[in-house]
Amino acid sequence: MMSGQSKNISFDALVVGGGIAGGEAALNLATTGFKVLLVEKELSIGGKMIMLSKVFPTLDCAACITTPKVSEISRHPNITIYTSSEVGNINKIAENNFEATIIRKPRYVVIEDCTACQLCEQACPVSVPDQYQYNLVGRKAAFIPFSIASPKAAAIDIDNCILCGACEKVCPTNCIDFTQETEEIQISVKTVILATGFKLFDPLLMPRYGFGLFKNVITSMQMERELAPTRPFNTVLRPGDGKVPDKIAYVLCTGSRDASIGNPICSQICCMYSIKQSQLLMGALPMADVTIYYLNIRSFGKGFEEFYQQAKGMGVNFVKGKIGKIRETENGNGNLILRYEDINEGIVKEAEHDMVILSVGVLPNQDASGFFPKEELKLDPYKFIYQADSLISPARTSIDGVFVAGTASGPMDIPDSILSAGSASAEALSYLIQE
Amino acid sequence: MEIEKGKTFKYLRDKREVPQQVKDQLKEFNRIKKAMLDAFKESDLTIDQLTQKLNMPKPEVVYYLMSLIKYGFVQTGEVDDMDEYFTYKLKK
Ligand SMILES: Cc1cc2nc3c(=O)[nH]c(=O)nc-3n(C[C@H](O)[C@H](O)[C@H](O)COP(=O)(O)OP(=O)(O)OC[C@H]3O[C@@H](n4cnc5c(N)ncnc54)[C@H](O)[C@@H]3O)c2cc1C
Ligand code: SF4
Ligand code: SF4
Repeated sequence: MMSGQSKNISFDALVVGGGIAGGEAALNLATTGFKVLLVEKELSIGGKMIMLSKVFPTLDCAACITTPKVSEISRHPNITIYTSSEVGNINKIAENNFEATIIRKPRYVVIEDCTACQLCEQACPVSVPDQYQYNLVGRKAAFIPFSIASPKAAAIDIDNCILCGACEKVCPTNCIDFTQETEEIQISVKTVILATGFKLFDPLLMPRYGFGLFKNVITSMQMERELAPTRPFNTVLRPGDGKVPDKIAYVLCTGSRDASIGNPICSQICCMYSIKQSQLLMGALPMADVTIYYLNIRSFGKGFEEFYQQAKGMGVNFVKGKIGKIRETENGNGNLILRYEDINEGIVKEAEHDMVILSVGVLPNQDASGFFPKEELKLDPYKFIYQADSLISPARTSIDGVFVAGTASGPMDIPDSILSAGSASAEALSYLIQE
Repeated sequence: MEIEKGKTFKYLRDKREVPQQVKDQLKEFNRIKKAMLDAFKESDLTIDQLTQKLNMPKPEVVYYLMSLIKYGFVQTGEVDDMDEYFTYKLKK
């Protein structure tokens, strides 16, 4: 449904993607006095970072860092945020002159009037898997995406709504509005920053690891949720039977450094986030054994080697082993047998664990390649956005005036995403003032 | 059509049909919710006991039970002596 409504609004910069990189870039430009439109396709800004438990190597609480940042972005008078929105297309008319079409999908809630009282959530009869808890638990069709979402306002999942009206009946501010329609908004901007982030490898593509089939094989992002303060369960539990696990295995490089599944490169973050999670698990479940199966541990960043040694000191078991196959035990206890090649000894071994976490890799999000019908936004050989001058001017893309920030240009952690956003905003700034 | 504030769902109801699969999904949730809450009326239960009573796959029991905890119908009780499995009970 398209309302056909078409506005024409001007901003200095368009930032696509409201993760930590896009948010940081928007903030840098806004504090310098430029007007920014931040377009985010999800219901909340914050990207993957807002979903994390703690961050390596400092073990700071992710929500405690993200929440103030996200609220600074949301409140900045020079930043306009469109959530549930995507770019239709971007046309470069001349230097410092881009025209873009933004598609704004209806939330069916007037954000400004919603008090996040959750009465609609309580009244809604529908329950569907909660995508923000990576399907470990349900959510309603009228729902607040998660407790630290920004904007913190309800939304209606229209695809699963039965249009019973219960939410509207209880809403104290009458802010639910089923007459909202998709809007197409024309905007003019002088520069563009692409911060569309990364995608996670889908382990269903590696059936030999049993994800989907064996419920106690989960992804690292699901474990991230289980460890977060806004977790789906009261503690870390196996989704297969609700047992508190005590013999946990990590399979590093799931979907990375593996040409056979089309991703030959290292994801750069999986070693460290797995080591982080192993330390958090040892804290949450003091009796648990945690084993990390790895090919190489890549602890290249500041404080990373010490962090790795700290995990060893805490008793995390590191096995240099390549996992061939994961199967469930036959006695129905939900445990898993990992068949692996012990690389140091050169022999095939088997080990039983009661929960397996697949450390899924970073894949490119290729959305941005479709934004420019008239120009060519080049991608690198691995389909991340190509950096035209990665040594001298790392945020430049193949289109002058269009810059890239964060993991849209390749795998990186949060500090590097923030640095990359700094570089993108600095280069966008100098492009803006060249006008 | 006159659109009344607070009753705008009626407007969309005229324009959009609710898919059968969405209606079926709601029926299924209500059925499971009722069965679980009835089971808890008799006694507090572990996931294993609940699974046997409802004759449902265990992973589904975990998913629906955790959802009912989130929605405020059920709460987590004590963990067993081995620190492995919790007991769950109706939220008073
Ligand atoms: C399990 C796990 C644990 C991690 N733990 C840590 C850690 O402890 N420490 C650390 O430093 N790093 C960690 N990371 C890495 C960290 O998540 C990334 O470095 C960071 O999120 C990158 O930020 P980003 O903004 O580049 O991308 P993203 O977080 O992916 O954000 C991109 C944003 O763009 C939006 N978007 C995408 N496409 C479009 C579009 N077409 N239109 C509009 N919006 C769009 C997305 O919805 C998203 O909000 C972890 C990653 C994972 C997977
Ligand atoms: S109208 Fe839709 S969102 Fe609102 S209570 Fe009914 S099913 Fe839930
Ligand atoms: S939409 Fe209404 S009922 Fe729902 S959280 Fe917002 S104010 Fe409360």
